[in-house]
Amino acid sequence: MAMSYEEQILKEKKQLHMSVFAQCISPDGKYLLAGNNYGTIAVFSMRNALASDANENSRKPIFTFKAFDGAIFALLSTENFLICGGSGDIKAWKWKDIQQKAPRVAWSLSVPHSANFGAVETNGLAYSRQDNTLYSGGGDSELHVWDLESGTCKHSYTDHTDYIHAVALFNTSAQVASGSEDGTVRIWDTRTSGEPVAILEPSKHEECINNPRDKWISCVAVDPADDWLICGGGPSLSLWHLRSLSPTTVFEAPKCQPHVVLYHDDAVISAGTSPNIYHWHVNGDSKLTTPCTAMDVYSVVINTESEANKVLCSSGASSKIDVYTNFGYKAFSLDFC
Amino acid sequence: MSAPTVKKRRILSKTDDEQSRSSSPKRESKKAVHVKVKREQSPYDEEKEVAARDKEKDLQLHNETSTKLRNLMADIHAYKSKEQSGKDDEIDEKQKEVALLFVTLKKLNRVSHLRCKKARDETQGAKQKVDNLHLQLQNLLYEVMHLQKEITKCLEFKSKDEDIELVDVETFFKEAPPSISKPSTTKHDEHKLQLARLDWELEQRKRLSEQYKARQGNRDGVAKSIHQKKDYLESLQPRLSNILEATIPVQQHLSMPFNEIRSQHQLAKLLPRPLYFLYVQANAYHEACDGSMSLKIEGDAETASSTLSASNEDEEDSDSDSEETLSESKRRRKTMGDKLEEQRQKILAKHPLQVIMTLRFKGGTLLTLTFNYMMVLQIITVNVDIKLGGSVQQVANSASGLLSPSNLLSLLFPGDDGKESPKTTNAYQLSKIGMNDLASYIGQIGHPYRWVQWLGGLDFLSDSGGNTVKASAALSNSHMESTVKALKSRVKARLTLNQQLLSLEGKTIAVPAASINLFPTKICSSLKSWTTITAEDFQVIPFLRGHPSADRLDDSHTIFQAMMERGSAKLQVLILLGLDYPNQPPHFILNLQWVGQRNSNNDLHIRDMEAELNIHYGELIGKTTVNHLMTNQLQRVLMCLDVYLETQQGRRRDEQAVGGTEGPTEFVMEKMYTRVTRGRNRSKPFKYNSLQGYFMQRL
Repeated sequence: MAMSYEEQILKEKKQLHMSVFAQCISPDGKYLLAGNNYGTIAVFSMRNALASDANENSRKPIFTFKAFDGAIFALLSTENFLICGGSGDIKAWKWKDIQQKAPRVAWSLSVPHSANFGAVETNGLAYSRQDNTLYSGGGDSELHVWDLESGTCKHSYTDHTDYIHAVALFNTSAQVASGSEDGTVRIWDTRTSGEPVAILEPSKHEECINNPRDKWISCVAVDPADDWLICGGGPSLSLWHLRSLSPTTVFEAPKCQPHVVLYHDDAVISAGTSPNIYHWHVNGDSKLTTPCTAMDVYSVVINTESEANKVLCSSGASSKIDVYTNFGYKAFSLDFC
Repeated sequence: MSAPTVKKRRILSKTDDEQSRSSSPKRESKKAVHVKVKREQSPYDEEKEVAARDKEKDLQLHNETSTKLRNLMADIHAYKSKEQSGKDDEIDEKQKEVALLFVTLKKLNRVSHLRCKKARDETQGAKQKVDNLHLQLQNLLYEVMHLQKEITKCLEFKSKDEDIELVDVETFFKEAPPSISKPSTTKHDEHKLQLARLDWELEQRKRLSEQYKARQGNRDGVAKSIHQKKDYLESLQPRLSNILEATIPVQQHLSMPFNEIRSQHQLAKLLPRPLYFLYVQANAYHEACDGSMSLKIEGDAETASSTLSASNEDEEDSDSDSEETLSESKRRRKTMGDKLEEQRQKILAKHPLQVIMTLRFKGGTLLTLTFNYMMVLQIITVNVDIKLGGSVQQVANSASGLLSPSNLLSLLFPGDDGKESPKTTNAYQLSKIGMNDLASYIGQIGHPYRWVQWLGGLDFLSDSGGNTVKASAALSNSHMESTVKALKSRVKARLTLNQQLLSLEGKTIAVPAASINLFPTKICSSLKSWTTITAEDFQVIPFLRGHPSADRLDDSHTIFQAMMERGSAKLQVLILLGLDYPNQPPHFILNLQWVGQRNSNNDLHIRDMEAELNIHYGELIGKTTVNHLMTNQLQRVLMCLDVYLETQQGRRRDEQAVGGTEGPTEFVMEKMYTRVTRGRNRSKPFKYNSLQGYFMQRL
C-alpha cells in the first residue's frame, strides 16, 4: 500500500515524537507488546529479534494495531487476555486473536467520565488471579475494582485527591497500593470498600524530598514478602517498611524522578527522567547503571515467562525499545514503526 | 635360318668343351664327338622321339653311361700306366666301347637340348597368352571406370523442375482438373505425376499472370483518377484563400481572431512532438476549463520548418549521428578547441519554437512559463518568470528566495527539484564532451522539471531501457489538469506566504479570520524577532547537538528563527520551511531559555509542544487557510508557551503554600485548565477547546 507524500512525512514526524508508555510480555514469553502515545500497539517477536541472524527487519514489529484514539498508559497480560488501559475504556484482546494477527476487542470496561472534559485515562492496572479481579487507577482519582467474571465495577476507592499514577497488588495479603499525583501512596484492604489501611506521604519526609513542589508518586512496587514497599515520583525513590510505615532507605539517583520501579530477584530496578536504567541493592547501594536510548523511561519489563527469551526491555520517550540480554548493557533496540 | 644355326653351334661347342673338360681331356674323343654332331644334324624326326622319351629314364641312362665311361677310362688309364704289353687290344676294345658310350652321351645331350628348346617354346607361348589376357583385363578395367563415371554423372543430374515449388500432391489432385492430373496413370507413375504437376503449375502461373496484368491496369486507372482529383484540389486552394482573404474584414469587424488562432495552429505543426503535445493538451484544457490561462507559440517558423524536415530525415539514427559527431570532436580536441565549444553549444541547442504559457492570478500576478525543447538532449525545459501584481505591495526580505524563479516551482512534486535531467543518458552525453552536470547550465537552458516532461508526454522513468522515448499524448493529457492545479496552488501558497512573512517581519502574527477561533483571545507571549538564518548558522546552534530533529534539515529548506518572549522566558523557535510548503508542513524546533535551557532533549513538555506543531498541524488547516498554516502554527507556539509557563507556575503556587523559596510568582494562571497534568507522562494541557474556552490534554 503506497502512502502519499504527506502521509509519509507525517509518519516520520510521528516517529520522531513517539513515546512508548507501556509494555508487556505475552504469557508464553514469545512476544513483547508495546503501546505508544498514539494508541497503537506493536507486537514484537522476541525469538526473531534474539535470533543469531536477526537483522533490521526482525527488530521491527511483526504487526501493529490501533487500540485507542489517545495514548496507551498500561498494558497487562493475563492467562487469556491482553488488557490495555489508556484514554477511555479499558479494553481486552484475546491472545489467540493476537497470535493470528486478527485482534478483536474481546471485552471492554467503561470507566465513568463526564462528557465535557474528555475521556478519563487509566494509568495503572493490576490483576489478581485468585479472585479474577482487575484493579485500575487513573484520571478520575479513583481506584476501581472490576470483577472480570461479570464485567462490572465492584466498588471504587475514592480517597485520592488527584489522579492515580500507579497501582500495585500485594503478593500474599489482600491489599493493594496506589500512588497518586496528590503525593500519597494509599494502601487498601481489598476485602473492604472503605478507608485506606495506610497512607504514605514521601513528600512529608525530609530525606525523600527533591524539590518541595514535586510531590507526585508515579511508581509503586511491593516486595515479594509484602514487608516492604518502594515508591517514588517527584520525591526520590524510597523503601518503606510497611509495619512501621516509615522510610528506611532512599535510592539516590540525581536528576532522575522515577517513572517505573520493580523487584527482580533480590534487586530493585528503576528508571525515570534520565536516559538510564538503575539496578539497586535493597540497602540503597547502586548496583549498576546502564544507559538507554530514551531520555525518559516509562516502562521496564523483564521476560520471566520464557527462559530462552529472558531479557529486560525498556521503553520511553522514543520510538526505540531497548533490549538488554544480560541486563548489564544494551544489546540492541527494537524499532516501533 | 643361319643365326640360330650359328647359335646352336656355339652352344654345342660350348657343351662340347664342358663335356670334354668334365669327362675327359682326350683329343680324339673330342674329334669324334664333332663328327657325330655333324652327322646327326640332318636326319629329323628326333623331336618326336624326344617327346616320346621319358626324362627320368634319360637321366638314369646318362648316369649309367657316365659311370661306365668313367670305369672304362679308368681301366684304360690303368692299362696305359702299367704299360703292359698285350693289352693294346684290350685298350682298343675299351676305346671302342668308350666311343660307343660317347655316342650315347651325345644322343642324350642332343635330346636334352631339344627338350630344353621345346620347354622354352612352350614358355614363350604361355607368356604370350598371359600378355594378351593382361591387356584384355586393362581394357575391361578402363571400361568399368568409364561406366562408373557415367553413372555418377547421371546420378548428379538435376532437373530444373526440382527448384520449382509445387503445390503438394493432395491439393494437386483436389484442385487440378482430371485432364491434367490424369489420376489413372499418375497414381502409379511418379514421373508422370511430376509432369502432370508441372503442367498444373504452368497453368496456374499463366492464370495469375493474367490477373496481375488486369490489376495493374486497374491501378493505373485509379492513379489517374487520383491525379485528376489532386489537380482539382490544388486548384481549389487559391480559391479558398481568396475567400479567406475576403473574410478578414468581417473577422476584424466581429473581433473573432480566427486567423491568429489558425496561424498559431500552423506554427504548432512545426513544434517538436513533445512540445506539440504540451501545446495541444494545454490548449484543450484552456478552452475547456480554465480561462485564466493563455498560450502562445513564439519563435522562428522558418528555421523550425527547416529543422523539422531535417529531423524527419535523421529521426531514426539521430543518436548514432550525434555520437559520431561527438567522438569526432573528441578526436580533434587538442587542435580544435573551438570546434569542441561548438559541439557544446550544439548539445544545449533549443528548438527555435517555444510554447509560452501564462497563468493569471487574482491581484494581477502573472506567472509566465516558457517551455523549450532541447533537441539533442531530448528533454523539455521551462523558464519561469513571475510578475507580481498590484495587490502585492512588497516582497518580504525573508521571502525573496522563495519567490525567485529558480525556487518558485521547485519540488512541485516530491523530489522534483529541476536540477538534474530526468533522462539518465543526458549525463553521459554531457560528460562525453567534457561538460559538467546539467545543473550548471540551468541558467542557460531552464529547468528540466519532471512535470514538464509529463506535460510533454515524456516519461523517462517508466521507460528506463529505451534510449529514445516516444512522447505519448495520453500521458500529457493525464497530467495536465493536476499540474496546472499544482502550479496555481503553489503560486497562491507563495503569495500568501509572502504576505505572512511580511507581517511576521513586522512582528505581528496575523491570524486569518477563519482560524481565529482556534486560539484563545488573550495570549500573553509575543513575537519579538523574525529572521532568516543560513544552514551554516543553523548547524552551529549549540542546543541542536544530538537533537533528534537536527538531521531533518536538507538543502531545500529555508530556515527562520523567531524569538518569542513572555516575561523572563525566551523561546527560540527554529522553523524549517520546505519548498513544497504547505504540502510538507514547516518543521518546528523549540528551545526555551527559562531557568536553564529546555528543549526536547531534556524536557518532555517541550517535546510535546513540538509534537503539537509538527504532528497535529492538521487541526490548524481549514478549507481556506491551508496556505496560512505557518502563521497558525506560530500562533499555536505562543499559546503553548503560555500554557507551559502558566502550568509550570501552577506548581510554583503550591510550592509557595509549602513555603518554597524559589522566587516570586512570575506567571499567573490566567487560562482555564481542566487538569494541569494528566497521564503517566504528566502531560500539559496544550490543546485548546475553542467551544468552551478551556485547555486540556491531548488524549
